[in-house]
Amino acid sequence: MYDWAHWLPLAILTPLLGAVLTPVVSLRSRHVAVWWSLGVMTVTSVAAAMLIIRVALEGPFSYLPGGWEPPYGIELRFDEFSASVSVIVLIGWLAVLYSLRYTEWLREVPKQRIPYYYSLLLLNLGGMIGFVVTGDLFNLFVFLEILSLSSYALVAFSGEHIAEMAAFKYLLMGAISSLLVLFSIAILFGLTGSLNMADVATRLSSAESVAPAALALGMLTVGFMVKAALFPVHIWLPDAHSIAPSPISAVLSGLVVKIGILGMIRIYQIYNTAGVIDMHWLNHVLVWLGAISIVMGAFFAIFQDDIKLMLAYSTISNIGYIVMGLGLSTNFSIIGGSVHVFNHALIKATLFFAAGCLIYRTGYRTLTDLRGVGHSMPLTSIAISIGAISIVGIPPTAGFLCKWYITLGAFEAEQPFFGFALIFGALFIFIYYIRMVNAFYFQAPTHPEILEVKEAPASMLFPTLFLAGLCLVMGILGRIPLAFIEPAAQRLLAPLGG
Amino acid sequence: MLEALWNNVDYVASVVLFCIGLYIIIAKNNLIKKFLGLNIMETAVFSFIVALGVVDGGEPPIMGPDATPPFASPIPQALVLTGIVVAVSTTALALSLIIRIYRQCGTIEADELREME
Amino acid sequence: MKKALVAALLVLTAIPLLIGVASMPPHGDPDAPMHTHVSARYIEQGEEEAGAANIVTAVILNYRGLDTAGEVTVIFTALAAALAVLIGFPAPPKDNDGVPAAPAPLSPVVSFVVRLLAPFIVLFSVYVILNGHVTPGGGFQGGAILGGLFIALTIVLGEGRTRVLLPRRGAPWMQGAALLAFVAVGILGTALTGYFLGYPAESQHLVTELMMLVIEVGIGLGGAAIFATIFLQMEEE
Repeated sequence: MYDWAHWLPLAILTPLLGAVLTPVVSLRSRHVAVWWSLGVMTVTSVAAAMLIIRVALEGPFSYLPGGWEPPYGIELRFDEFSASVSVIVLIGWLAVLYSLRYTEWLREVPKQRIPYYYSLLLLNLGGMIGFVVTGDLFNLFVFLEILSLSSYALVAFSGEHIAEMAAFKYLLMGAISSLLVLFSIAILFGLTGSLNMADVATRLSSAESVAPAALALGMLTVGFMVKAALFPVHIWLPDAHSIAPSPISAVLSGLVVKIGILGMIRIYQIYNTAGVIDMHWLNHVLVWLGAISIVMGAFFAIFQDDIKLMLAYSTISNIGYIVMGLGLSTNFSIIGGSVHVFNHALIKATLFFAAGCLIYRTGYRTLTDLRGVGHSMPLTSIAISIGAISIVGIPPTAGFLCKWYITLGAFEAEQPFFGFALIFGALFIFIYYIRMVNAFYFQAPTHPEILEVKEAPASMLFPTLFLAGLCLVMGILGRIPLAFIEPAAQRLLAPLGG
Repeated sequence: MLEALWNNVDYVASVVLFCIGLYIIIAKNNLIKKFLGLNIMETAVFSFIVALGVVDGGEPPIMGPDATPPFASPIPQALVLTGIVVAVSTTALALSLIIRIYRQCGTIEADELREME
Repeated sequence: MKKALVAALLVLTAIPLLIGVASMPPHGDPDAPMHTHVSARYIEQGEEEAGAANIVTAVILNYRGLDTAGEVTVIFTALAAALAVLIGFPAPPKDNDGVPAAPAPLSPVVSFVVRLLAPFIVLFSVYVILNGHVTPGGGFQGGAILGGLFIALTIVLGEGRTRVLLPRRGAPWMQGAALLAFVAVGILGTALTGYFLGYPAESQHLVTELMMLVIEVGIGLGGAAIFATIFLQMEEE
């Protein structure tokens, strides 16, 4: 059953079609939208599960819409990196459930907008799924645009003017980066005559000249690094992720920024195979920028009072880890970095969901105002504490193994300096999470009424606790994703003789 | 080098447009002007793609009784069609945001908006 | 100081771009890789195996159909995005500047000409949509013409008269028409050829033409509806 060929287009088209039909089904009543979206995501999750089972048993496989062999048609190619659909559908499904209460609560939002919220969320998820399963460069760009446009709109959803300004800044930077990606795709097409990733990889080595290929690589890197919010092009992220509605923050920080990483992995796959360019320069730059991101992100996070701003800077820091993993380009570091894509998504979603629960019940967003909430909302606070421990990387939580692998990779690449940067970053992160736990449990409440609030509603609490539980489970079962990704990492590095 | 640039002058023109667009986004204060800069950059990339597909003495790739080779490549045209649609969509969203920002803040100058944050 | 920084950034961007672009295969060269690989196959066999004389349409609908499905989704995303940002906010109170509604009253010439030409423009857009597979044109182009006509008519006739074209119950269906058409034809294609969005071109040209027509009409109608809706929503602010 898992090898029914058509699961792959189904996984992409279900959320997209669901999104298009959301306004239709909501004609009668806007409350239908959330249940419809949940149903759509359930079907998508089944398809995603089938695909992951298949790649685990058989290895990478392809699907050819229209039946044209590559490179004459579009090729959908599912490899181990595409298994990130797992975390996309998981967090996506939970975010839809979480939004049930949260969207009704956003007081500035006119209620007629709500079906379009679910539409945009489904488009975002569908775009991401399409992005990770396609093997064609231009198709990649199209899905990138679907997910980007929906992200910009979702940031602005609450209607506050700061939200719209943050969304506009995000849009400008995102659109420029998309253009850079498109320009590079055009250059690669000009050099090779093909748009299929594998085909471009083989033909690039016989291209007339190397300079355009180098230019394309540079622009692609800049473009994807803007999407991933790497230093120094991270400036759009703190405002956008902290102002967005909390379930959207979870999706943005957990999933959408990872698209930049996954795009970079695809680029590495192409250029490593092509072998026309010495990747050392690029790797060096990425490692340095990654290290700066780690330290800078964690450093700024310490000084934030607003909880969502703190989490946003933490995202920047963690992206730094992953990018460093890519840049170090050793077996350990790539495995660690790729699995951290998955683990950080779980952890950050837990944290944003929990933060959203706190904001929902108390109306406060800052650590000062939230003092003492650990007593009145114990479950939420436990979830946030689990998330905090995970993100520092203390065993047996999800964050530990991947950060350990990346550190090992740093030493393996004979760049111990960066290994220390990693450890330094972890210490900083530790400090800000101590602040948080201290404020929730041990400090006297600034607003005594905080002790009276109820725990979060079930539809919001369930996703939060489920993900927190997964943080622990993935810590214990951590070897599994690492082993799963290993063949893909080896294939990525093989042309380099590593 | 100069000769290579002259051979590919269409591509050079796209690059110049691209940089002009980038300049406008960075240097201009008004949100709509910034956004127009983005539009110019998009146009630059599209003209680059279309220029890729040109063949000297080529005809549009439409088959018919009197169609003679050589033909221009159909792929860049398909890419640009999609690209234009994407640009229009970005335009729709950006303009919607600008409308909302203007209604709420009364201004669309970036420095005044920064003061208000 | 800031000017100098901006200038430096631009020069830094322009130089690698120029170097890269200068080294690309010469412009217009028919032996360049982009013309001899995939392109050549499309041109030589496109009409026969893909079922359309306009090779660009063959590429859009057949060889790279999934891209077009994605593109249609992007337009819909624009609609959802614009509506999600704009819907529902009450119109703000009028400026006490007394800013008039339009900078200048609409000339009767404009009104007359638009109303006179409207039926011909509709005819033209329908022609463009339907003939997309043999002449330049297709769903998007026709849809854009129709959408533009709707906008012109709204400016001339006023929103009240043109809104009837987008009934509240029918509008979401019209907006979704493009992707719905795609998926429907795609599923049909799966049944006929075993591949999603496959066309039985080499054996049954009529069926292929019909499938392409359905998609083109869907795209045209959907695109026009989406442009119209976005315009109406923006106007309401």
